[in-house]
Amino acid sequence: MLSITDLSVHYGPVQALSHVSLDVPRGEVTAVIGANGAGKSTLMRTLAGLVRPESGSASLDGKVLTGHRAEDVVRMGVALVPEGRSTVPELTVDENLRLGGLWRSKADRAATHAEVFDMFPVLGDRRKLRADTLSGGERQQLAIGRALMCDPQCLLLDEPSLGLAPLIVTQILELVKRLASEVNIAVLLVEQNAVTALRVAHTAVVLNLGQVVMSGTASDIASHEELRHAYLGC
Amino acid sequence: MTQFLDYVLGGIGSGAIIALMALALVLTWRATRVVNFAQVGQAMFTTFIALSIQTLTGSWFIALIGAIVAGAILGVIVQYLVLRPVKRMDTSGAIIATFGVLIALQAAAGMIWGGDSQAYPQPFSNTAISLFGREWPLSVYDLVVIGFAGVLVVGLTLLFTRTSLGLSMRATAFNPEVARLSGVRVGRTLTIGWALAGVVGAVAGVLVAPTSAISPNSFDILLVFAFTAAVIGGLDSLIGAVALGIGTGLILSVVSGYSDSSNAPVVALVLLALNLAIKPEGIFGHNSARSV
Repeated sequence: MLSITDLSVHYGPVQALSHVSLDVPRGEVTAVIGANGAGKSTLMRTLAGLVRPESGSASLDGKVLTGHRAEDVVRMGVALVPEGRSTVPELTVDENLRLGGLWRSKADRAATHAEVFDMFPVLGDRRKLRADTLSGGERQQLAIGRALMCDPQCLLLDEPSLGLAPLIVTQILELVKRLASEVNIAVLLVEQNAVTALRVAHTAVVLNLGQVVMSGTASDIASHEELRHAYLGC
Repeated sequence: MTQFLDYVLGGIGSGAIIALMALALVLTWRATRVVNFAQVGQAMFTTFIALSIQTLTGSWFIALIGAIVAGAILGVIVQYLVLRPVKRMDTSGAIIATFGVLIALQAAAGMIWGGDSQAYPQPFSNTAISLFGREWPLSVYDLVVIGFAGVLVVGLTLLFTRTSLGLSMRATAFNPEVARLSGVRVGRTLTIGWALAGVVGAVAGVLVAPTSAISPNSFDILLVFAFTAAVIGGLDSLIGAVALGIGTGLILSVVSGYSDSSNAPVVALVLLALNLAIKPEGIFGHNSARSV
């Protein structure tokens, strides 16, 4: 389980996150929803070690993550798929996947590599092609595949639906949900598109201006009229 | 026509050396997006170290090994002490800092070894090879230089395309954030890139020294040629640096042959200007924007 306790982040004078606490259990998808600028990406980047928090902590199964650099956090089992389908466009599909988890043994990596191709068959078909020749949906699958190569116990997905067709978003998120329950990893999903996120998530929190304004089961939050008008605009 | 061909052939040896120095520039560019103008200063410094070792031991080979080790260490020192702190500001600051390093290295070399030109011993025959009843404008030494360049290019290409370290270096160059999130130790990878460039530059320095002489400023002109070759080759491309390095050597040899060797730098600058006007991304480069 990923536990976030009282996490606060400043960018200069701007308070991006303020005393955020949140638990992300294994086997489930936990959604973080909120408007633009609510602090969602900051939360993800802080968990991944790209941003230093001012106070508070995050831990995975008791191991403290905060204070470690990104390249160590991923070794501790937390993999981030950052916003914007981040792959290395100049490298091939195979090379992008090989990049993930280079510290692991060759045999382990080969096994995960094969699992990723099972999960995303289109990547296997395109393995020799440069990543920048892929469609948006394929690149998002590649970005998730690269993160899975790191053998994460916790997967952080930052806006995977951005710029993708709704049908592809549904496919990818259903796959993520299955992944969470089958491999028993904790998934934290950040989405601006609340409807999509609440459809796959078990629990959800709503962030506004860096603070958690509500948390509960996804269905509770989806049916909360006032909240939807106030924070989600839908 | 025969004379023309002789001039062309005569340029291969110097072209291979330009190619190596261009390769060193490309390596630092790929690793850190900085053109390291101190590269020739580092090569000059390590060549002086090699000369000292040569004088002590009498072995050209041990001196070469010494230069390679010194090149790697100096590359790490420059990257760690100068580039890392400056890079936090901006890229142009880093480029200017490399000029500062160049001047500092030249001053230091002058203090340690003196400002006069010193001869570097010739390890292999430097006289024209006679074969099939005529003299060729190539010496055994030229062939050794070409051999070194070939081995380094093939070795580096294999390193980049076949090894995990090479994959990490490419990913770090293209997208450092994704590399870090994948677990690549980016800082260490950048340092290795600079060490590698230092090694290639050191080899180039030891190879060029016997054909001219060595003084604190003697490699400055090599920087002009290598920079021209690296930029026209596309800055990102190892193959481009080598092809254009050798090409530059050939063109300069022809120009020097028909006119005067003092015209060579002008020709190099004209080529550079033409390249920037017609195809600024370089012949082997990708068309992404860059500023040098």
